[in-house]
Amino acid sequence: MAVTSLTLGRARTSRRILLDRVSRRLVVLGGIIIIASILAILVVIVGEVSPLFERPTAVVAGRHAAAGDASAPAAGAAVGVDEYREIAYRVTAGGVVEFVSLRGERGLAPAPVPGLAGARVTTVARGGRDQLLLGTSDGRAVPLAVGFDVTFDGGRRTVTPAPEFGEPVALDPEGRRPIRQLAFAAPEGGPLRVAQVGPKDLVIQTVVEKKALVGPGRKEESTQPLAVEADGEITALALDARAEDLFVGTSRGQVVHYDVRDRGNPARGQWVAASPTGAPVTALAFLIGDRTLVVGDARGGVTSWQMLAPPGAAERRLTRIHEFTRHDGAVVSIAASQRDKGFATADARGEVRIRYGTSGETLLAFATGDGSTLRSLVYAPKADGVLAVNASGGLTHWAVTNPHPEITLRTVFGRVWYEGYTEPAFVWQSTGGTDDFESKLSLTPLIYGTLKGTFYALLVAVPLALLAAVYVSEFMHPGIKAYVKPVVEIMAALPSVVLGFLAGLWLAPVVEQVVPGIFLTHLVIPALVLVALAAWRALPAAVRSRLRPGTEVALLLPVAALGVWLAFVLGGLVEQALLGGSYRAWLQSALGLTYDQRNSLVVGIAMGFAVIPIIFTIAEDSLANVPQHLRAASLALGATRWQTALRVVLPTASPGIFSAVMIGFGRAVGETMIVLMATGNTPVMEWSIFNGFRALSANIAVELPEAPEGGTLFRVLFLAAFLLFCLTFVVNTLAELVRLRLRRRYRYL
Amino acid sequence: MRRFWKSGEPFVWLTGSALALCLLLVVGLVALILVNGLGFFWPADVLRATLVDGTVLTGIVREREAIPGKPGEFRIKLQVGNRDLYGADFQWVDEARIARRERPADVVVIERTEWGPLLGTIEALRDGDRVLAVRGAAGLAELARRLPEAARLRREIRALEKGDIGAINHAQEQARLALRRLDLRGITAGARVDAIQAELAALRARYAREEARLAELKRRQTARVVVAADGGKAKELPLAQVLRAWAPNAMGLAAKARHYAAGVWEFVADDPRESNTEGGVFPAIFGTVMMVVLMSLLVAPLGVLAAFYLREYARQGAFVSAVRIAVNNLAGVPSIVFGVFGVGFFIYTIGGSLDRLLFAEALPTPTFGTGGILWASLTLALLTVPVVIVATEEGLAAIPQGLREASLAVGATKLETTLRVVLPAVMPSVLTGLILAMARAAGEVAPLMITGVVKLAPSLPVDGFWPFVHLDRKFMHLGFQIYDVGFQSPNVDAARPMVFVTTLLLLLVVILLNLVAIGLRNRLRRTYATAAV
Repeated sequence: MAVTSLTLGRARTSRRILLDRVSRRLVVLGGIIIIASILAILVVIVGEVSPLFERPTAVVAGRHAAAGDASAPAAGAAVGVDEYREIAYRVTAGGVVEFVSLRGERGLAPAPVPGLAGARVTTVARGGRDQLLLGTSDGRAVPLAVGFDVTFDGGRRTVTPAPEFGEPVALDPEGRRPIRQLAFAAPEGGPLRVAQVGPKDLVIQTVVEKKALVGPGRKEESTQPLAVEADGEITALALDARAEDLFVGTSRGQVVHYDVRDRGNPARGQWVAASPTGAPVTALAFLIGDRTLVVGDARGGVTSWQMLAPPGAAERRLTRIHEFTRHDGAVVSIAASQRDKGFATADARGEVRIRYGTSGETLLAFATGDGSTLRSLVYAPKADGVLAVNASGGLTHWAVTNPHPEITLRTVFGRVWYEGYTEPAFVWQSTGGTDDFESKLSLTPLIYGTLKGTFYALLVAVPLALLAAVYVSEFMHPGIKAYVKPVVEIMAALPSVVLGFLAGLWLAPVVEQVVPGIFLTHLVIPALVLVALAAWRALPAAVRSRLRPGTEVALLLPVAALGVWLAFVLGGLVEQALLGGSYRAWLQSALGLTYDQRNSLVVGIAMGFAVIPIIFTIAEDSLANVPQHLRAASLALGATRWQTALRVVLPTASPGIFSAVMIGFGRAVGETMIVLMATGNTPVMEWSIFNGFRALSANIAVELPEAPEGGTLFRVLFLAAFLLFCLTFVVNTLAELVRLRLRRRYRYL
Repeated sequence: MRRFWKSGEPFVWLTGSALALCLLLVVGLVALILVNGLGFFWPADVLRATLVDGTVLTGIVREREAIPGKPGEFRIKLQVGNRDLYGADFQWVDEARIARRERPADVVVIERTEWGPLLGTIEALRDGDRVLAVRGAAGLAELARRLPEAARLRREIRALEKGDIGAINHAQEQARLALRRLDLRGITAGARVDAIQAELAALRARYAREEARLAELKRRQTARVVVAADGGKAKELPLAQVLRAWAPNAMGLAAKARHYAAGVWEFVADDPRESNTEGGVFPAIFGTVMMVVLMSLLVAPLGVLAAFYLREYARQGAFVSAVRIAVNNLAGVPSIVFGVFGVGFFIYTIGGSLDRLLFAEALPTPTFGTGGILWASLTLALLTVPVVIVATEEGLAAIPQGLREASLAVGATKLETTLRVVLPAVMPSVLTGLILAMARAAGEVAPLMITGVVKLAPSLPVDGFWPFVHLDRKFMHLGFQIYDVGFQSPNVDAARPMVFVTTLLLLLVVILLNLVAIGLRNRLRRTYATAAV
């Protein structure tokens, strides 16, 4: 019996030991996993941000040789592609639109241009995505729309080209001179076509569509010659889609502007030397939205320009925005992206560069590698590929991965010259009303807003919290301490949404009434406290002795309340007497400041309220932990309790107070709901306390639900979160280290 | 004078005044919320003011303030209600313009399903062409007599819409998904498809029957009340839209108290109306509680495990100190950053993968690949886990080493010591930490805004359809409701009292949780203070 129980006991013991070992492994594993997963936050956020700064890539997706001499392309925009990059087309000089299956699966029938009657296609102009205009050697133009029919059958996509030719129109009826350059636009008022027919001669054809009340409308077509006054010959043309501005490039490196808004009477505007070296302008193109003009010259220079009215001037001038890195050979073609402000340039040596108009950056350079001279370039509609055609008609197709072309460290943190702005600026504006709206994602105004809100919150919180901490730890009677600390803890637990709601809906309208009073509280309350003290000391000692030291706060509660009320009354009087009855008018006229109802003052008070308990608790803690014998020694030497606090306790605890302020700073930086609800959330960069701002945190809360996953805005918001994380983590770690050192110091004292 | 400054007392008083100001701020804030929140349900008297120009305004006085620029003159803010008749709920009236004030006993306030309160006198009660009662007290009595029946009918319609018709909709959706699942596997015909098609046809037939029943019920709602308002305007209101009616000026204190209690109950237990600006907040309470409970289920074991690892199992050294600092600091990382992490990791990475693996038939509509109560709870668990870790660690540090050694000395293994000796002793600390974590989670809004809270969730995360608990659903939350109603609703003025009441409720929950935690901690300190001796 005893033997069996012993063996049983052994089995049980070994099971217990096994269990113990297993559990130890489990706890260690679990603990490490939990801690690792906490630290994974940083990894995940960085992982979402990093694609923003990845370098774009381009790989050759295919080369498609020409079908022979017949495939030699016409000049100009003679190449195009569908949005899935399945079928490319090129317009040949011989007058055929050839289709090339980029996946190499099938042969596609070419479409000859009708009505050429023996003439050749000299040049091709592109206006809009698939709208082409072919110029001929006998002074005519043929409109062509290259559409694509997309059908899905059992999940398989089939793209079929559907070219549609229009009626040929005569641009040069008398001379029948060959068309050298062509530009056109089709705005609502009717199309406008500009053709170069001689070295310095243009013809401008306008079609005015007049609507009739009944029956079909009439079309009135008029053609007029325009002799360009410039030094050299015309080498390039560009017309914006609104048909307002015509730009003419010359062989002397000039770009001449014509205002063609008045259709019958094109007005010559200024001219600029677009190429500082005087090299002939070889290519002109607009970026998406047709506000930015890109100029390429024969020596490889690439610059971007906009029509801007300088401050104070009504007249728009062609202004240079960016100068891009130079090509080694002459720029032959510029292709704008239809997605963003990006574009590609090709030179005569077969090199292609991908650039971004807004940032002025060159993102990528690659070459055909066969040394052939490129003729024409096109950017795929989804900005995921580039096609180039060389002089003999050979096509090269690159697949481009460039998901976030607009983002560089400079565009996120620096000043950026956006379209329509007269100078580089910090702007956050993620969504706009129009299709060609460009997101402006500068984090600088948001960082500014975060720091501004934090500054005003600390301005309110630090003095109040530190003074209160000094009082509670040094002067307050221990009996009431036990009641004050829970109140402060409750204050710390108040949800920030409650504070934000009160700040935005209750405090903001109240503050608006008493702004001068609020500034007066800084004077009135201390003055009143001193008066109260003087009065108190004048009382007979018998009365005074009933108040034990350390319970003054009971007397001070009504005094402080009275002080606030008195300050508001005085504020009203001051406003009447000194500020002309309305502080807002006074602010406007004397300081040039505007007053928003939801402003930094309101945020400062509300966020200060949220930060006070944190600073208070930590500061009080480090003050209270100052060794008691230091105080005792100081008091024994005859110092007053104030002298002891100021000269002995405060210097000893100063690192703790520093870390309290740091942690308060960290809390204010990340506070979201208060800034979201109590500011106007306008991303302005002004220091004024009477303006609102937009903080990083509130910006994330507002915009992240709307941001499509993986998009640029999504990733930039993650970058904002990363900044917040780093800022608070660094500040908190610093504060923590300071506190640890302080604790060690106390141990030695 | 010199002695006055030299004594240092002025400075002491100044520091004291800073504390006094802080205390005043807290007390003032709580008082402000209490006053504004508690007054909301009280059936205040209705004032009929006749102005000097003869205009009559009937409404409840909500505010009184000095007119800026005219010292000594005041104006009152009247809640005139009748948004559909006047366009605005509130009207400011200068007191100087009021010629006569009266409180007529026959003015009724009607709470209805839309357009906010209706104020006026009952003209008549009709059922079709039949007049049931006429004006005055008789009208109100008849209205009160008929309201329960109207409410019963309304409940029945609602039960039908939510219950039977809801079930049919749910079954139809399930059948559609089943079809799609088969389709994804390449099955587009056959017995199983036919069975589902037949089921769908049966459901459609049932749907038509229930619709007919619904129409029949709705036809029975014929009674109407005619109310005369200021300026000769009248409103004919179907009884089906009347929720409550009362004549505040004729009510005694007891009646008002009963009305108050009913109002509080409605607020706590009812669904919201009028885009959350009226009615109750039950779904928000439910969502908040469920989210906090889910979070606690996650955070308690994880936090305790991590703390035990750090304090009991890991070798103390530079690494553990670094981890401890990191965990401490994590508590200071902004909550919105945790939300961003939740979006990037939980929703799009884990949720997106789950959708592709398990819920492919519902795509492109995401199931778990969008915000939901599970992800929100997980995010908040991560946010609050440092609180639990720190509290548990503090508790572990406070347990005398002798206790552990005694247990080990009598032959217990480390696991047994941990489970039977250390864990019971540290339990109060764990609870304190957990309660603080719950309080923090209940009041947190920013990370929820991006991980699954919505202004109006069509259904609760728990219902009668399998699997009963739907962790993928979006939910409503008290804190978000404050933000949404206070800042996103079109009529902020009318919504403000509702926000104050919601704020009060949230505040009560958070303060209560904190007080419990503080009390627990104080008791704990006393226990250890004696144990250490």
